[in-house]
Amino acid sequence: MTAAPLLELDAVRIRYDGSARATPDGVSLDIRAGEVVLVLGPSGCGKSTLALALDGLVPHAVAAALEGSVRVAGADTRDRTVAELSEHVAMVFQDPDAQVVTGTLLDEVAFGPENRLVAADEVLERAERALKLVGLWDRRADNPDVLSGGGRQRLAIACALALASPVLVLDEPTANLDPAGIDEVYAVLRELANERDHAIVLVEHNLDAAVDLVDRVIVLDAAGRLVIDGPVRDVLQGRAGELLELGVWLPVSTLAAMRLRSAGVMLDPLPLTPAELAAALEAVESLPSPAPVAARAAATTLRAADPAVAAPAAAITVRDCSVQRGGRRGPIVVDGVDLDVASGDFLAIVGTNGAGKTTLLQAIAGVIPPPRGSVDVLGMDPARADARDRARRIGFVFQNPEHQFVAHTVAEELEASLRLQGVPEPERRDEVERILRRFDLVEHRDRHPFLLSGGQKRRLSVGTALVAGAPVLALDEPTFGQDRARAAELLDLLRALNDEGTTVLVVTHDLQLVADYADRVAVIQGGRVLGSGATDEVLAGPLIEAAGLRHPPLARATRGLVRHPEWQSVTRMSQLPTAGRAAA
Amino acid sequence: MTAVTATTDVARNPYAEPAAVHPVRFLHALNPIAKLAAPLPVMVALLFTRGVAIPLAFVALTLVLLLVGARLSGRVLAILLVGLPVGVLVLGVTFGVWVDPSRIDTASAAASVVLVEVGGWQLTLAAYLVGLATALRIAALLVLSLIAGLTTTGPELVRALVQNLRVPYRLGYTALAALRFVPRFGHELEVIRAAHRVRGTDGGRGPLAAVRRTISYAIPLLASAIRHAERVALAMDARAFGAHPTRTERTISRWRTRDTLFVAAFWITAVAIYVAAFAAGA
Repeated sequence: MTAAPLLELDAVRIRYDGSARATPDGVSLDIRAGEVVLVLGPSGCGKSTLALALDGLVPHAVAAALEGSVRVAGADTRDRTVAELSEHVAMVFQDPDAQVVTGTLLDEVAFGPENRLVAADEVLERAERALKLVGLWDRRADNPDVLSGGGRQRLAIACALALASPVLVLDEPTANLDPAGIDEVYAVLRELANERDHAIVLVEHNLDAAVDLVDRVIVLDAAGRLVIDGPVRDVLQGRAGELLELGVWLPVSTLAAMRLRSAGVMLDPLPLTPAELAAALEAVESLPSPAPVAARAAATTLRAADPAVAAPAAAITVRDCSVQRGGRRGPIVVDGVDLDVASGDFLAIVGTNGAGKTTLLQAIAGVIPPPRGSVDVLGMDPARADARDRARRIGFVFQNPEHQFVAHTVAEELEASLRLQGVPEPERRDEVERILRRFDLVEHRDRHPFLLSGGQKRRLSVGTALVAGAPVLALDEPTFGQDRARAAELLDLLRALNDEGTTVLVVTHDLQLVADYADRVAVIQGGRVLGSGATDEVLAGPLIEAAGLRHPPLARATRGLVRHPEWQSVTRMSQLPTAGRAAA
Repeated sequence: MTAVTATTDVARNPYAEPAAVHPVRFLHALNPIAKLAAPLPVMVALLFTRGVAIPLAFVALTLVLLLVGARLSGRVLAILLVGLPVGVLVLGVTFGVWVDPSRIDTASAAASVVLVEVGGWQLTLAAYLVGLATALRIAALLVLSLIAGLTTTGPELVRALVQNLRVPYRLGYTALAALRFVPRFGHELEVIRAAHRVRGTDGGRGPLAAVRRTISYAIPLLASAIRHAERVALAMDARAFGAHPTRTERTISRWRTRDTLFVAAFWITAVAIYVAAFAAGA
């Protein structure tokens, strides 16, 4: 570690063209060989922008002004081209789809070295080494399209490795992946971190996956200033409270321990991983009993596929529903599904990518042509109803909110839904006003929907789905590609809507969010419902693993507890005793 | 021609290196440039050719070339051997109906042979022959383009263009990367249409509503296309794309004697067909 730093940042400020303030704002740091550095910060603090500056994409390829200096191997990035800098710094980006250029894995990995005029036999050597390291050598002749998201992201890492650069920068590499994909990518990163051949700079909000392989943490505040730079344990354990105040998410295990502290259970040092949390809990002689799951969830009775019991309160009844994609010879994506959703439920449909959960949700909401079998939403067959009737009963929010925007301003967007219902003009105005206030969009009423921030777009899309008065809301992967803070903000909103009586269905693979918010979970695999039930029962049982998913961090910590068997079913934060409850 | 490659192959893997083929399937082993250069002058000449004989001869010649020299799937075989002739016959009638009667030589024998008569309107053999000639010309252009289209992969074509024709590699490889966008955007458009259906804005009939719909689909599609293209461009830049005037080629695309022979033989045959046809008075 005595050698000259590989990267030297001095008072780096980056301002995007057309943006008022610079984020990051005055960041100075060095990165040396073999270090594994995690960059943290709240949304919008400029951590991804900082990553782009490390290999010269800022300022060379991105329209942004760079002040201060970034030196790569001693040379100012302004004086070098991105291509020259790629010899020292390799990048892996967030979107696995947007990094593939060629038609086979081998060509893809060879692409970088070929551009650098590396001799053909060495290109092949490097490609083989890189593909073997990420476990894709056997698939070298495949089209990258056939890989899973996790596979494509491993391929992107292989492509970066083939450049033979001493620094590897990864910008939210797992934000678009399902849990299995996240595990795949981190298995590769762990191996790289252990080898110490590369300095790794990781921008990541999924701390639960990243925390056990990093050495050093760098934290930016909301204004983009560097506020903390230190060894991972010193920072996450010693300054946890400070991080929370900055709006940085901590590992779930750490958050759980902090909540327990307030109830008088001192876990010291703070655990960072589920394994550490489990060990720390086992070391405590006696724990207060966990808080009961909120009464409303317990009252939601489980109606197993028994139509006779289907109470009048059923909002959605699905019987023997099958969907085939792409004509008669296409694959069966949803296969004989029975599902009941009671009015007022908060149901999460979970499963790995390709399990058929989105298609099932689309069949329920009438988004796709009529499936086989029957679907009933509040007495309506959504596949045969027209858009107007559908919108009165069930609102559907697509994964990308932009897809469903049809108007030029936020207010018109809401009005369009009301006009479809034939609501007269004065009532329309009042209703639009009400929704704008409800979703905190009043000051943006005249902006174009595409110019909103990610969180605002998401709120608007929920608003358009609900403005016609639909009592059922269906959302497809509402937290996809968002950081935890924004995901939690949206789910708090859904929780509030649900408390007001809206039936909510979400498709997701973020199981900690499921654990914290959903009353019921349906687990899907291969187009079939493996089972459904109350959230804590499903998370405590074997279904999650049977579906190829992984338990959320808190459940992972509590499931195996021997000394405190009553804690084994603790899966959601709200079950942890807090100060008030422990005293009572 | 790349369009043909794209549409016929997208269902499979448009980038896969071809599997080993039997040596008799010689078209696969030719340089893509040869497969484009050989039929190109003929395709131009066909645009100015009248009559049934010449296009028919080229359709037949090309079909033989494809049947011998190319590895064809059952589906493609059926299209070529059944679909193509049926298509030509049907198109011949359609075009024949629309033929300008003043262009038909009323003195010829065929003009007096009436095939169909409805009321005062007649479809004469002469009119049908004109229609058939047009249909055959289209068929000939199509099958000629398939010589390269059915036997060349995208990467092969780009390699040949870059290495043999000295097309700048930035252009070639960017086009190849852009080819990946096509199925992605197709899928995205489907999602957008579904999303707008849910919003109930797909209503209305007639051309005006269609235009409005198209515009409302275009905005989200463009927004996402630009974002996607920017991301791909950053990823390519980060991997040193365009760093040097050339890049390492692991696979060399050669122009061999057989390529010259193929082009020469094709051109000689083509000239022979034209000469024979004119000699016969076509």
